[in-house]
Amino acid sequence: MSSESRASSSGDEASEPNPNPIPKPPEDQLAALALSETDSHANGVVHGSAGENNHNHQEIESDEEEVEANSAAPGLAEVEESREGLPRGSVGGVVWARTNSELEVDGPSSPSSSGYAGERGSSSASSGGSGIDEISEVRNEEVVDGFSDLQASWVPGKRHVDEDDASLSWRKRKKHFFILSNSGKPIYSRHGDEHKLAGFSATLQAIISFVENGGDHVKLVRAGKHQVVFLVKGPIYLVCISCTEEPYESLRMQLELIYGQMLLILTKSVNRCFEKNPKFDMTPLLGGTDIVFSSLIHSFSWNPATFLHAYTCLPLAYATRQAAGAILQDVADSGVLFAILMCKHKVISLVGAQKASLHPDDMLLLSNFVMASESFRTSESFSPICLPRYNPMAFLYAYVHYLDADTYLMLLTTSSDAFYHLKDCRIRIEMVLLKSSVLSEIQRSMIDGGMRVEELPLDPLPRSASFSPHLGQHTLSTDSPDRFREPYIGVGGPAGLWHFIYRSIFLDQYVSSEFSPPISSPRQQKRLYRAYQKLYASMHDRGIGPHKTQFRRDENYVLLCWVTQDFELYAAFDPLADKALAIKTCNRVCQWVKDVENEIFLLGASPFSW
Amino acid sequence: MGLSSASTTASATPEGLQLCIFDLRRGQNEGQELDKILFFFPADLPFSAQFSVIGLSEGLITFTRIFSPEAACEAIEAERHSHVFYEAEPDIWMVMVVEKSKEFEAIWRSDALRKVLKEVHYLFVMFHGSIRALLDKDPGGGLTRSHLYYFIMDYLGAFQKRSPFDGCCWDFLVGKKLLLPSFRDCLKERGTVQMLTVGREAAIEVQSLVRVLESCAGNIPCHSLILFQDLLVSTTLSPDDTVNLFAYAVLRLTPRALSSGVSSWSYLRKGATSHVSSSSILARPGGVPEQFQGSDVNSPAGDNNYRVIRPLQQDKWSKGKDGFLVTDIWGAEASNLISATPTVLLHQTEERMYLCAHQHKSLTLIFLIPVSSVLIGDQGVSAVKQQVLENVSLKLLRVEEKLSKGWVGENAYHVSGYRYLLVDGDRNVSRASPPGKVTTLTKDSLLALSKLREEVDLEKSKAQSNNAGQEKELEVSIRAKNNAWVIARVTRGKELYMVLEKANETLLYASDAVEKFSNRYCNGAFSLN
Repeated sequence: MSSESRASSSGDEASEPNPNPIPKPPEDQLAALALSETDSHANGVVHGSAGENNHNHQEIESDEEEVEANSAAPGLAEVEESREGLPRGSVGGVVWARTNSELEVDGPSSPSSSGYAGERGSSSASSGGSGIDEISEVRNEEVVDGFSDLQASWVPGKRHVDEDDASLSWRKRKKHFFILSNSGKPIYSRHGDEHKLAGFSATLQAIISFVENGGDHVKLVRAGKHQVVFLVKGPIYLVCISCTEEPYESLRMQLELIYGQMLLILTKSVNRCFEKNPKFDMTPLLGGTDIVFSSLIHSFSWNPATFLHAYTCLPLAYATRQAAGAILQDVADSGVLFAILMCKHKVISLVGAQKASLHPDDMLLLSNFVMASESFRTSESFSPICLPRYNPMAFLYAYVHYLDADTYLMLLTTSSDAFYHLKDCRIRIEMVLLKSSVLSEIQRSMIDGGMRVEELPLDPLPRSASFSPHLGQHTLSTDSPDRFREPYIGVGGPAGLWHFIYRSIFLDQYVSSEFSPPISSPRQQKRLYRAYQKLYASMHDRGIGPHKTQFRRDENYVLLCWVTQDFELYAAFDPLADKALAIKTCNRVCQWVKDVENEIFLLGASPFSW
Repeated sequence: MGLSSASTTASATPEGLQLCIFDLRRGQNEGQELDKILFFFPADLPFSAQFSVIGLSEGLITFTRIFSPEAACEAIEAERHSHVFYEAEPDIWMVMVVEKSKEFEAIWRSDALRKVLKEVHYLFVMFHGSIRALLDKDPGGGLTRSHLYYFIMDYLGAFQKRSPFDGCCWDFLVGKKLLLPSFRDCLKERGTVQMLTVGREAAIEVQSLVRVLESCAGNIPCHSLILFQDLLVSTTLSPDDTVNLFAYAVLRLTPRALSSGVSSWSYLRKGATSHVSSSSILARPGGVPEQFQGSDVNSPAGDNNYRVIRPLQQDKWSKGKDGFLVTDIWGAEASNLISATPTVLLHQTEERMYLCAHQHKSLTLIFLIPVSSVLIGDQGVSAVKQQVLENVSLKLLRVEEKLSKGWVGENAYHVSGYRYLLVDGDRNVSRASPPGKVTTLTKDSLLALSKLREEVDLEKSKAQSNNAGQEKELEVSIRAKNNAWVIARVTRGKELYMVLEKANETLLYASDAVEKFSNRYCNGAFSLN
């Protein structure tokens, strides 16, 4: 059965019960079942031979992204492929972006003619020929960024395009994400070609609607190590199929973020297209944005912001950050809604117009969108974007400009014709930042990194002493009497402390220590990330949480979590760590964070405090 | 599409429970879907609604096998219902659908629900053999359906005479409501036995009793199980068989089970309030619901055609003058074909055994004799019984006396300040705070522990599927919002769950408390040093 015929049969299901069931592949049975509902069960489910899939196969371990990087050739090809999908055609680096009305008016009748495919996101002056260079560039990045290892080896873009649900390799992928419409049309799939997955997509749709027809809503299906998580957002269905052992709550939140990322690109007004035409094909609207979704999905395995709902700052001297904030504030007063200066996924400074507040999730989605789209790097851009937590219905306009390889400025406005104004603003900001050597400070902070568990002070620092010039000062650590003397060198901080994350609730910000041995390989980092994620979910149970304290010891770690009204601390220790010492150490970490909060947090600029 | 299922699934289940058993190998052709269904509760649910449940289940079993061929669908969580799956035998699935109600009580731990399915299946197999074997003998399925129907309905309705505050955890039917294990039962573990701790002297007495008992049957290899009250004293059976037989004994044979609601631990019985509606669930004229009758011309169902033995039927066991327990479940008198002596099938050896039970005061003695080795059937069994009476009576008196002396009552295993559950997974043994004490805990504490147990369940099943050899080691201590400490410890196949409500706020204090408990009551199994 071809994918086309499968797709069409599912599309028609509401009106035409299938009169002549043909033997179906097992994944179509549910669709068949839904079909047979009305015609009094005449159309029973064909028994799927259970033995069919019983080859004794093992999970493909190499499925994870970082491993994928080794097979360089296909990865490169894919990157080039998706780059071609990215917008071009604009001259001079500026595209006057579409308006809201454009989206609404654009008929579902011929989506291909709407021009979105070629217009997605932003402008790009480059013509996509340098894909190979970019990848090697990404790989060679040895920035002392907490997660550099993880990020460096990850190759952006869609992969396994040759696979579909009939391929064994596809079935063994550890984590699938799907977006589909409520008529069963595929919109996005992390692995494999959406068009070839039409039949599978129809099956997912059938499961969801079957349960809905029974007056209920399916949230989760468990099978062995696999979880299938469903999220329904109006006419958009999102599904995750995963055997990564992440908690349900985390996977569901990831679906929420993917939906948010989609809104960021299209706004919620895309729903109207489905109201007009239930069989509306959305894929062209998202043309070329695969890379944005795949980069977001990648961040689900390294970026704590995805589960903490907080953002993190690049460590900077208080005065430096103040200087950056001042010039951003200047600009914000002149009609800019938000001015955000970031370095990779870390915030340098951020300023909002009066009463405008920026949700950390929106920041995550926005920075992911900007960083994933190569075109932003190569030219100044003006692009319509939507901040789903700010206003899911309307577009804002983002002026984006990279000040150096990693540092970028985003100026958000409600006005679609503010490009030249924002360009002027940017020039002013850039000048000030250069003059006040903020940019070089940023570079230096990137190299120096953030807090290191090895450098946890034995005693609280004297209040007066500034923790400077940088938190991760190597020269201090070796011979300072303030440092712990570790009986075993090179295995983390005192009392077996390996890592910590501190989240300030009031500031909506978190700080994460640098990875130190023994958490050095990407694999170990990802495992720790997942352990934190699980701990977070366990602490924040929706029915009975949040809990106050949690101590958890398994074969990998001792994890301690402490939730108060002001902050949350997550700390990882050697699994053999002494409980009493670990608790003492956690107290010290909190003190340390408080001592240096001027440098690691953006103070007085909590986005919710406007 | 689906309108009918919408109206029926939503409204037709006042108990908020659906339980079905279906065979994926049956009813594969169009128009024969009915043939799949081996059991459905409630039986009066319209077929369209029954199909809706089974269709969804089957669809998801097939769907999940795409990704997880070695372990298909285990649970569906929807907003209003939880569906719990259990593949009892290859291609024979049991699915339980429970409604999550707005009122807090309907919060389920899916593993606890699955254990209900497991238990009823194990018990079924113990008496009737595997469902597949029954189906092979009876391709029409009528016989199997009748057996399943009576068995499960007896099981579900089994405990209406016990109050929910009772010492035992097999309480499903109270009034018209089925009481399934909810978060309030998070300090209980179904599928385990509860042991009586006996002193050295008593243990020696028990040992010699067992030896004498075995000698009664001459050279025949027989097994025995001894209970004091509802607690196990001794067993010579394999762990699996012990669990099954223990469960049955506590359900039907122990003095408490026989006394029909008059409890020996009387202060727990605040009047036998829930006597009322026991009949409602089984008072269906004709017994087997009509759907199963005449569905296949070749094998009409109904008890006229099949002699269905109902081992879980209530009030069918009583104590005879000689101390032996008697029942007419297996027939009033021996016919030439079927013995009137109860028989069970051993899980491990698949051997059919005669079941004999003798009771003296609180002591229940069960012994099993291989059917194959007693040539003259019931008469042979009677002979063995006679031997038992002659040989062990005196010993029995002594043992009962010893154990009664040492018995301090229901709160024997209460440890003040602690609310706990201790599970030894290797031996299928558990011990817990008495239910009366557990009820003093706040709802929040119980909810927190239930949640934590769910996490541990997941960790355990992951550890199992990842590497069979290595056992999970886990220690979790949570200080919940209400300041209670909720603790789980898993080590070397043993599990300890604990709630400390009046504990100090420091983690070290809580850890100390666990350490003390472990040293004092668990031989240091959970101690760190």
